Amino acid sequence: MDTTAAGPIPAALLVDAIHRCGVRTVLTVPDTHQATTLAALAADPAVRLLTCATEDEAVAIAAGLWIGGDEPMLIIQNTGLCASINTWRGVAIDGRIPLFAFVGLFSREAGIEPRASARSPVRYAIPLLEALGIPYALIDGPGDVPRIEELFHLSRERRGPAVALIGYPTC
Amino acid sequence: MPMQPLAALRAIADLRADAIVVPTMTTVAPWHEISPSPLNVSCIGFMGGAAALGLGLALARPERHVIVLDGDGSLLMQLGSLATIAGAAPPNFYHLVFKNGIYHVSGGQPVPAAATLDFAAMARAAGYRQAHRFADLESFRAALPTIFAQTGPALVELETEPVPTARQGSVGNASFAAEAEVARGVLLGT
Repeated sequence: MDTTAAGPIPAALLVDAIHRCGVRTVLTVPDTHQATTLAALAADPAVRLLTCATEDEAVAIAAGLWIGGDEPMLIIQNTGLCASINTWRGVAIDGRIPLFAFVGLFSREAGIEPRASARSPVRYAIPLLEALGIPYALIDGPGDVPRIEELFHLSRERRGPAVALIGYPTC
Repeated sequence: MPMQPLAALRAIADLRADAIVVPTMTTVAPWHEISPSPLNVSCIGFMGGAAALGLGLALARPERHVIVLDGDGSLLMQLGSLATIAGAAPPNFYHLVFKNGIYHVSGGQPVPAAATLDFAAMARAAGYRQAHRFADLESFRAALPTIFAQTGPALVELETEPVPTARQGSVGNASFAAEAEVARGVLLGT
């Protein structure tokens, strides 16, 4: 496998990264972009997968899980990040709760840098994270997968949010 | 006649034992006075999140009861939580909704459909294992031991009087970040 190329990431690589982080619970509002990853997690007995009605809920549930000693993370899409940003602020920034998420860049055009996308949910994702001071990395291919563990541990060390932007639909 | 919220809180405190309690909005300040504990985790700064915060705690700590002291306006902000909680079905989750019909902290504006809302019916339809409504304190106080002894998730809708004006906008000295840190330390023994 060419690990330097941009393009779809096999779900198994992402699930392995989730295991290496020690994640025990994944909270999701399903993302078309990450459907194969969610399917793999649904069949994974080592991870509890909980589907939530809204991203706001997912963030608050993650807070309760972390306070109680669990290791949660989120899988959502870019539109869900926009929808829940006040809860991210209250829980993870002001509340200092570690919060790590895969955020799918749903509807991104192949080969286009996200800031140059014609689709506003893609175009605004990185500026939104930067405006809030949320650490992030663009996971654009298998070679970027090691960044996931870095960001997960950063969220725990800084007691705050961190985001892995999943650049292409997982396969 | 609707019950006084402070009396309802005292009835809950009497049966709290070692439960984790998540107050929000108008219950935050009086709850801390009535039942101070390192296991109070106030939902402050993300209105509507109390039930979801409590769900996370209940899933992480199945050996303890988790009691959420929600408001009607708060629950309406994340009404989908009823379905998420019913789907997760935590047996240790007790969701008490203080229904005073107004957004008290922001000045007393009425919540939508205040006269007709039935949270217990909504919870029952979503799939909660228990759902109850009480308009008087004595009935609530008499039923509460049985409710806490039975399996959750349970929703208890309490028809309450608006609290005194002096409490508007007040959450006392409560801080979500500080309380989360203390509660985590107790729960993890660190």
